[in-house]
Amino acid sequence: MNAPMQNIQHLIPEFERWKERYPAGFEGSLTIPCLRRIQEERGYIADSDIDELVAYLGVPRTQVDEVLGFYTMFTREPLGRYHLQVCHNVSCSLRGADGLIKYLCGRLGIQPGETTPDGQFTISTAECLASCGTAPMMIVNETYHEDLTPAKVDALLEELAK
Amino acid sequence: MSQADRKRGNNEPVDTSKTIAFSINGVPCTAYKGESVIQAAQRAGMDIPHFCWHHDLSVPGNCRICMVEVEQDKGDPWFDIGCNMPVTEGMRVLTESDTVKKLRRETMQFITLNHPVDCGICNKAGECILQDYHYEHNGKASMSIDRKNHATKFFPLSDRIMLDNERCIMCTRCVRFTHEVSESHALAAVYRGDHSLIRPAEDANFNDDAYSDNVIDICPVGALLSRENLDHARVWYTKATPSVCPGCSRGCSIDIWHRKPEWALKALDPQLNSRIERVTPHENPAVNGPWICNKARDLATIFERPRATQAMVQGTPVELDEAIARAAGFVQNARRVVALVSSWGSNEELEAFAAAFAPRLGGAVTAYAKADHVPQSGEVVEDHLLIKADKNPNLTAATARFPLAPADLAAALAGADVVLVWGEGVAQASLPAGVTVIRLDGYAQEHNASAHVFIPLSIQTERSGHYTNFEGTVTPFEACFAPKAPVAHAAELFPRLAGTVQLAGAGA
Amino acid sequence: MTAPVTEPVLSGRKFFMNHEVTPTSHTLADYQARGGYQALAKVLKGGVAPADVIKEVSTAGLLGHGGAAFPAGRKWGVIRPDDGEPHYVCMNADEGEPGTFKDRWLLEQVPHMAVEGLILASYAIGGRHAFIYIRGEFDLPFHRIQGAVDEAYAAGLLGKNILGSDYSLDVVVYRGAGSYVCGEASAMLASLEGKKGWPRNRPPRLTVKGLYQKPTVVNNVETLANVPVILSLGAEEFRKTGTPKSPGTQMISISGHVNRPGVYEVEYGYSWEKFIYEDCGGIQGGRGLKCIIPGGVSTKILDADQIKGVTLDHNAAVAAGSQLGSGGMIAIAEGTCMVRLARVIQRFYHHESCGQCTPCREGMGWMERVLDRIVRGEGRPDDIDRLYHISNANDGTTICSLGDSAGYACTAILDHYREEFEYFIKNGRSMMDGQLAVEDPFAGAVPTPLRGMAGAAV
Repeated sequence: MNAPMQNIQHLIPEFERWKERYPAGFEGSLTIPCLRRIQEERGYIADSDIDELVAYLGVPRTQVDEVLGFYTMFTREPLGRYHLQVCHNVSCSLRGADGLIKYLCGRLGIQPGETTPDGQFTISTAECLASCGTAPMMIVNETYHEDLTPAKVDALLEELAK
Repeated sequence: MSQADRKRGNNEPVDTSKTIAFSINGVPCTAYKGESVIQAAQRAGMDIPHFCWHHDLSVPGNCRICMVEVEQDKGDPWFDIGCNMPVTEGMRVLTESDTVKKLRRETMQFITLNHPVDCGICNKAGECILQDYHYEHNGKASMSIDRKNHATKFFPLSDRIMLDNERCIMCTRCVRFTHEVSESHALAAVYRGDHSLIRPAEDANFNDDAYSDNVIDICPVGALLSRENLDHARVWYTKATPSVCPGCSRGCSIDIWHRKPEWALKALDPQLNSRIERVTPHENPAVNGPWICNKARDLATIFERPRATQAMVQGTPVELDEAIARAAGFVQNARRVVALVSSWGSNEELEAFAAAFAPRLGGAVTAYAKADHVPQSGEVVEDHLLIKADKNPNLTAATARFPLAPADLAAALAGADVVLVWGEGVAQASLPAGVTVIRLDGYAQEHNASAHVFIPLSIQTERSGHYTNFEGTVTPFEACFAPKAPVAHAAELFPRLAGTVQLAGAGA
Repeated sequence: MTAPVTEPVLSGRKFFMNHEVTPTSHTLADYQARGGYQALAKVLKGGVAPADVIKEVSTAGLLGHGGAAFPAGRKWGVIRPDDGEPHYVCMNADEGEPGTFKDRWLLEQVPHMAVEGLILASYAIGGRHAFIYIRGEFDLPFHRIQGAVDEAYAAGLLGKNILGSDYSLDVVVYRGAGSYVCGEASAMLASLEGKKGWPRNRPPRLTVKGLYQKPTVVNNVETLANVPVILSLGAEEFRKTGTPKSPGTQMISISGHVNRPGVYEVEYGYSWEKFIYEDCGGIQGGRGLKCIIPGGVSTKILDADQIKGVTLDHNAAVAAGSQLGSGGMIAIAEGTCMVRLARVIQRFYHHESCGQCTPCREGMGWMERVLDRIVRGEGRPDDIDRLYHISNANDGTTICSLGDSAGYACTAILDHYREEFEYFIKNGRSMMDGQLAVEDPFAGAVPTPLRGMAGAAV
């Protein structure tokens, strides 16, 4: 694994390139894309990241505080290496989401909202992920895993646990 | 940014040169072009209930209690919030229809759904808009039998302000204030849904916002409270006396709150009966609008400093009249008097001084206006909103009459045999040796005992008068308390010192 | 299975699902081979004025596909061409309405149709920058649409002087970060401004003051994907599909208890029953259909009788008592517990409420708490009135329609299935078997702890 990220300086050239596509005066818009990129690298958003981003973008600190608290995809704490987000909305519930969640919790020994002690897996419930036709399903980090069955879940967990 | 540029209760500019005719509850009204229904109604003297709307902040339209009905010739009436509803020609607005009342009841049900209703221990009780609206627009018990959401009961938003998240109704007035008025950007609304919370920005120190305490006033519920004044007195035991803040030459209009005489405490320390309980803004569109800075909130630290209560002659206590007689003797027999005039004197006191010494001013008597107070370290000197560098309430009026004392006081005082020091700001060391010093002041200072004559004076809260601010606006203040010790009122003192009024015993 | 009552005469045309999906069918080369970007070329090189593009789209009668079915041409026509302000088009790819996944299909399989439509729409309203706001969770759809934008730039279809014309356009694909309410147009724009997704009150409309307070048009992916279709065929030809009041086709994503869930393209006017019972293979487990959520949970539920003889078009859906909405259809089999279903729906709305306005912020949590309590077996007789009260108090009183929708969803279920709620309240258990799934792949599965994990008491 690479050396842990100290600061966001190495991402600035990328942010500068993004700015070129936006109209002038839209620098504040970069708040969300920059935070996504930071979290992609670090795995979560550190307090120092926020300080540096605010300094770079020139947005009020409150804007970043509010964005981090509002959107579900941002986390300020490290999660498990694999974040399993299981949809429990209507269509997934109609096709076995409750059973999927119970099964996952049983296999991993944790409840939704928790991380396994070895830091490998976090389970969260999620609302509709636009995968209703291939329910039940879940997202593992960024990837959709659809039409899940116990066998598929078992195979997936075996693969991830390697 | 000027006050005019700032949004005033509207998200659109208002054009006061164009008017629109419409009606509210059948009563003909006029609105300016661009005004919302709630703005026009308020100018017409009709108050549509509102929590989140404020006439000096942008319009968020989130509380929904200002819903009104609009009748149409054809079709059903429509309903929407009045704070974001532009007035149109011939519009027929209803604010008291059955449907509007039902909507208000329902909104109040929602607002109080998770509200702790702990009025019994909440400082806002008695001046709480939520309480008032509950009785006025709902008055029924909650329809919910489920648990309320719980949140932080005492969150220290700053050293001065506590936040109770359970009482908060997310009107966001406080957040908008810090972004639009004080520009400290210190507050945010974080998280989502009914887990939303007001929180300070994680880098800003709300302590650094010189206007932070205004959020206490504009909070419509008991969510934001002054930590200093927490649990001191129920609001209905106190009364507000209009006054003027002496903290700088802006001269903001304020209300000084103190116990009502009929609610005087008998068993506890009597000093509590004549204490400043708190200071709030007194809305004055010509001077400060609805805001004041934190220095005004802390006026007790100025007005309740140890007082000078004892007249003295060279440090020896004497009766007040004797001190006045001795001082008058010095003044009237002096070859040359230099008077350093207080910039904390009221217009009336300055007038009395000028009138008393008129015959000799420019001759044997020279008067200079002085700045009793100067900016202290750590204090905001001047800013974009209210605070002015001149930290005195009436230097403007004083310098209109008398020249400003030069920085090199020694030069000004050269040749004087009597120096009359009225008020603060003149160190003993800056007075020449061998000169007769007469000090008149309200506060106990070490150098009072060194004066040849010291006469204790009343302070602003013990008399009425007017100040003139930096723009020339004259604002009145009223007395809150009676002086506790025998002190002189400066306006009555000067004629006696100058000899234009005979001393005690003689006719005027 | 009920036979359809009438068989409308339909052209059988498909505009999106009219080609074989292959590993490359989404690419620029394949799209152009199918005639892609010829509409754009016709407009830019043939000297078609922006106003003419608007006129063509208006004449075609294109209705928005995001849920509100607002006429697209009329929305564009509000923008004043000579106001000296920047104008923006924002493609709403935030598909978050439960049951809806048809925009996902379009983004994955025909992203260039969406891009071409975006360019044409921007041209029509005089925009120099356009945005594609795509929900943060989408992974493959994001790569496909970003890939399409990159291909378009490389081919001179985006950027300066498109196809050698005077028209230039920059497109930014903006990824969200997890919020259903950011599918609401004004919340989307707040999010695009880098802020939390709080919707705004109107006035002003977004076409007057939108993104950064400039005139902005927000259109759904499918709406924009229809634009090159209309400009290729011409409005008159386009109107030969569908019905007079709902011309064209509707992408429908169907899920729930049907045997063949997935994305379908139906021409407006197609028989609803034929769609469910034939195309989608009918209901799982040999059961009958209990009810349908027509277009996302924010539309009112219709029971099986209510769709008899009804065609899939906007007017028919409204006449039947609901709306086609976002095209996210959910079929619910007989025997499903509607009380548990209502709880899942309100849990969703509570999770997604932005918290800004009083009725929704307080009401959503309240509804979930009441339904939780009923499902736990602790319901009270007046809970039904309570649910109606909360729903009605959210109707027309909120900043955006999240509150309204939650209310409609709840009252429609209560109107149809009140007896199930009364039963649950009285007896402390479901009138049905309490299961929400008909065919549950995890039924009977026994989870053994993964090696290295402590066993959990589930």
